[in-house]
Parts: sequence; structure tokens; C-alpha cells
Amino acid sequence: MVKFLINLFFVISMLFAPLKSFGAEPVKVTYIASIYFDSKGSGLKLPEGIACNEKLLLVADTGNNRLLRYIIENNAIKGGEEIKLPELSYPIRVQVNSRGEIFGIDSKQRRIARLNPEGALLGFIELKEMPSPEAFMPRSFKIGYADNIYVLDILSERVVIIDLEGKYQKQIEFPKNYGFFSDLAIDSKGGILLMDTVGSMVYRASKDSKSFSPVTGNLKEYANFPTGITTDNTGGIYLVDQNSGGILILGQDGSFQTRLLSFGWDEGFLNYPTQLCINGEGKMFITDRNNNRIQIFSLVK
Amino acid sequence: MVIIFIAGLAYSQNNLRLKPGAKGEICLKCHVNFQKKIKRSFVHTPVKTGNCSACHDPHTSSHEKMLADNTREICYKCHKSVIPEKAVSAHKVVVEGNCLNCHDPHGSNNRFNLIKAGNDLCFSCHKEMGESFTKVKFKHNPVAKSCLNCHNPHASAKSGALLKDTVPSLCIKCHQTSKPEFAQRHSNYPVAKANCTSCHNPHGSDKATLLFTNVHKPFINKMCNQCHQEPNSPAPLKVKKEGIDLCKGCHSNMVNEIFYKNKIHWPAGSKKSCQECHTPHASIEKALLKKPMIEVCGKCHADTIERQKKAPKMHEPVKEGNCTACHNPHSSNNILLIQQPGIIELCGTCHEWQKHVTHPIGEKFIDPRNKNLTVDCLSCHRSHGTEYKNMLHFATVSQMCTQCHKEYQR
Repeated sequence: MVKFLINLFFVISMLFAPLKSFGAEPVKVTYIASIYFDSKGSGLKLPEGIACNEKLLLVADTGNNRLLRYIIENNAIKGGEEIKLPELSYPIRVQVNSRGEIFGIDSKQRRIARLNPEGALLGFIELKEMPSPEAFMPRSFKIGYADNIYVLDILSERVVIIDLEGKYQKQIEFPKNYGFFSDLAIDSKGGILLMDTVGSMVYRASKDSKSFSPVTGNLKEYANFPTGITTDNTGGIYLVDQNSGGILILGQDGSFQTRLLSFGWDEGFLNYPTQLCINGEGKMFITDRNNNRIQIFSLVK
Repeated sequence: MVIIFIAGLAYSQNNLRLKPGAKGEICLKCHVNFQKKIKRSFVHTPVKTGNCSACHDPHTSSHEKMLADNTREICYKCHKSVIPEKAVSAHKVVVEGNCLNCHDPHGSNNRFNLIKAGNDLCFSCHKEMGESFTKVKFKHNPVAKSCLNCHNPHASAKSGALLKDTVPSLCIKCHQTSKPEFAQRHSNYPVAKANCTSCHNPHGSDKATLLFTNVHKPFINKMCNQCHQEPNSPAPLKVKKEGIDLCKGCHSNMVNEIFYKNKIHWPAGSKKSCQECHTPHASIEKALLKKPMIEVCGKCHADTIERQKKAPKMHEPVKEGNCTACHNPHSSNNILLIQQPGIIELCGTCHEWQKHVTHPIGEKFIDPRNKNLTVDCLSCHRSHGTEYKNMLHFATVSQMCTQCHKEYQR
């Protein structure tokens, strides 16, 4: 009898497992707040990059040539201290690792700066033992769970994985016939997702894979010019559609779920957004670039 | 079975009690002008056999000229094979069934019932091609004789652009690559299998040897080894350096300027770099662009190009396909790679009047919809156009104005 029940339980769990993974509930977003200013009341200008966790929000305030650091505490955003360094004069991407260290890509010098949690420069990520280190053009990057740095290198058409000290781990070449990659994301299983802006497609390489393959078909029906990509903690994929001001939500299998938000100036609308990030508490932060602000939404399932 | 079928058919026809010649000959009694057409050198077979009802319905029709169906269906009924099953390219008019753009359905003094003879027919639609062909100093001889020397008029199973064969296979039918002169003219580089039309204009040119009008200096000076390995090396066509490093050899000032700016146009930093947009040898376009600017930019920014097509009246630079009137194609210190530090300055380069008569715009005027945004031209207009008049964001002026002037909202 016990054996029968165990078998029955096993069969039922196997039957329901796919339903649980793919039958994603529709996601809605609720507008929470917008960030317009730093701690001294000075306005943001054309912010392009964003990084977040449960305690920290970092913004690449590109038009003001600086980073901004906000604290997330009791569901409120505080601070907005400026980090302004001549070595990071035009930041377009920002990331934070598990130690609280801050990383940023400088669009002008096209290298990755490493800062301590207080915002002092520790140096630049030096690429050690990497194949063709001279042919390196970082367009975007993300920090993985082991604090490894995943860099989208558009010059050598690859994603390079390096450790914190810049030591080369591995690289995966871009897939063939792609359009142009603008961003990448690391999912909860360690897989790498690539956002093909021109081809309107998402590619994935699972954790131990040596190549990328398409996760989606052509998304042109839903997105005009998607430039940013991230995932939530259940593996859902989120894209930001820059030219038409919207968010696309895909299931972890790449299936289209929904398109949210639209072009505009009022709060809750987007004007050429560039990137987004989602923290473990389900808060979504979007760089609403041409509206000079960061918008915060809550994901509701 | 066959006997029964024939008998049935005969019965049904007799049952219609058709007069002799009812399928066409009778028609000519009223349509007397057709007598002239029938006397033309080339007459369409159904007309010749007096079978007007092959195409026309003698009683009623939902199509013009009492046609039994739309022209595509009627013509394709007999001329199915004009587009091969696995066509690589097909003439738009043929696909759309606009056969009468080229053929007279009754008769003509030109072969295949064509409405005009020779290239005149092609140039009546391809006007720009006709005009440029007339003007060019050096004309490709086969084109002067007939476009159909190289192109199929309906479709091609082998190549794009309706070409009868792929390039260079088509070219080498006349231009023998085995002759020493061929190698000599190409500085001894093995280009027999290269794409001839990447350098030569197959129709005609003002440049001798039919090179495209705009030619890269080292190329016209036959200094191929400035970029390529020596012609007698194991890989003569291989370039000496990859990507932008190759171009930098001569264009170092430009490259330095590009990479000194805050924002580069990302393709400039990609593997193909300059060659994403430019061709290294010769082009019909200025600045050695691969294609007309709007097509080059539209390859990636297709959504923007599509949007501007919706506009009732296009923004002038957009209409002209002159993207660089507003954007720097290489790099810029400004948002969206624009040529001026701000939107108002950029628009002001053409719309000079805005400097003295305008809705309040500029740094002093906060956008009521967003406390960290000031009012500029893009607050009301979208530069690549919208589906609304004057490139406005909203359908009516009142809808637009009351976005900010909410007190007037009804």
C-alpha cells in the first residue's frame, strides 16, 4: 500500500511538474514611485544603466557623468549619493556584486571600473589570460551568482566570463546570423540570455553550454527595439522595448506572456527606457532615460 | 465513360443554344475597333482564335472590362510557369498580377504583345535607371541592346534582381576570366570568382571600366596591397588587419575622433566595424555607403523607418532619407547621437523661426507632466513622424495641448 502511494505521488508530481514550470501566472505591474533626484535635490539626466538587490539601487546617471547609490529600506528608497569619478566619466552600465563592490562600464573609455562599496576606485578589470584581449569592446555586463563577471564583447562577438580579478574563465561565441546584441542576463540556473535588439530575439546558453540557441522566435510583433533584458527569481524573462516604451514579459521557455506600459511622460509611462532590473522582492526598476527618472514597479502575480 | 462525358457536354452546349461564333466572333460585330488590333503583328492566341469569353464574361462581371476574374487569375490560368516554383526573385508587377503593365492582352506590334519595344518598356517604370543610363559616359553594351540580356522579365530561379544567372557566372559568359588581360586589369589578384557588381556598375558609369562613381582611393590607384596581402602570397585576398584596425591605417584622425566621443554608434565598435555600413571598394552612394542611407540605417532601425512611413507628411530630412542631417553616424557627445548638444539647437538649425516665435521651450520651462523634464520640440512632436498631422504625439491639437494645459480638458 505504502509503495503504491509513493508511486502514485511520484506519478502525480511528474504530471504536475511541467504545469508548474510553464503555466506561468499572468504578471501585472503596479506603479510604486519614481526617482527624479539625487540626495542633494539635483535632477537625474538621461540615466541608462541600473543595478539592484534587496538593499541597494545603483543608477548610471549617464547624462550627469556619475553613478547614484540609493538605499532600499522598509520598502522606501533613501539616499541618492553621488559617485563621480573622472575614470568613469560616462557610465552606461552599472552592477553590484555580493560584497557590495560596484562595477561600471565607461562608454568613452570602454572598460569596466571596479569601485569599493563606498564608491572609491579600486581599479579597472584587467583581462588576464583571455584569448584576443586586444579585441575587446564591452557593450554590457552582468555579475553572476559566484561574482563572476559576464561581459558582452561586441568586437570579438562573444560573451566572456571572468572572475573578480579579471581571470579568464570561459567564453561563448555569439550565434550565427544575429542582428545586434545590446544586453545580457544571467538566469537563476546560471544560463546566459542574450538580447538581440535588431533581430528581436532572445538567445540562451545554459550553464555548461558552449553555444547559444534561440529561446524565442522573432518578437517584432511585440517589440520595436528591445535593448535591455533581465530575469526574475522564477526564471521569467523581462525585456525593455526602448523605441516604443514598453516591457515584454516572456516565460522561462521564451513564450510571450504579455506586454505592459506604453510611451509617455506621466508616471507609469516610459520615454525611451534602456534597461531594467528586478530584485528578490519583486520590485522592478526601469531607467526611463528620456524622462530623466527611474521608475519603480511592483510585480504582482 | 468518355463517350457519356462527351455526349453530356455536347448536350449541355446545345442546350445553351449558342449562336455560331458566340465565343468571340460575334463580339466583333459591335467592337469594331478590334479589327485593327487583330491586324497587328502579334495577336494574343485567344483573340486570334476568336475566343473572347476565355477572358471576358459576356453577361455580367464584378471586374472592370467585363473580365471573368482579376487579371492575375485570368493570365495565370494559361501562363502558370512565368514564376518558377522555387524562384529566387520575382518581378513585383508579375507577382501582383499587373501583367497589363507590360503586355497588351489583345495584340501589339511588339513581340510577346509588349506595349512598348525594348528598354523603353522597362524604363517607363524604372525611370531613374533610364535617366542615369542615358546620361552616363560609359554604357554597358548589353544593357544598351536590351535589359533582357541579363534579366528575366518575370522571375529568376537562379539569382536575385531577376538575373538570369548568379554573379559572376552571368558576367563571365562574356568576360573571359582566363585571359591574361583579366588578371592584369585586376592587379593580378584572383578575382575571377568575386562578386563583380561589388565594384562595377553593371549598367554603366562615368568611370572607365564601369566602376561605381565613388571609388576608394587605394582601389582606384591600384594600391590593393595597402589593405590586402600581396597578389602572389598564399592568401592574396586576405586583409592585412581586421575591422577598424585596417581602416585606421589611413583614417586614423577619423577613428580617433569617433572613439574620443562619449557615445559611439555601436556598430562602429563591432567586428565588421566600418564595413557594417561602408563598402571598401566602390559604390554608387556617397561616402562609399553600401546602399542608400535610408536602407543602410534601416537595416537595424527598421522600426523607425516603418514609423516614418505612417506620417501623413514626412519630416523633410526623413523624406530625403538623410539621416545624417540630424544624427552623427559614427559617434557623438549627445543623446541619440544627434549633431547638436540639444534637441532645440538641432531643430533650430532648420526651423530658425522657433528662435523668435514659439511656444515657451528651453531650460526655464518645466514640463508639467514630469518635474525633471523641460519643454522642448519633442514634448509635442516626434521627429520621425507619427500617424498624426504635424508629427504630433496625439490625434488632435487639443488632445496634445491639454496634456499639459489640463485646465482646458473637456
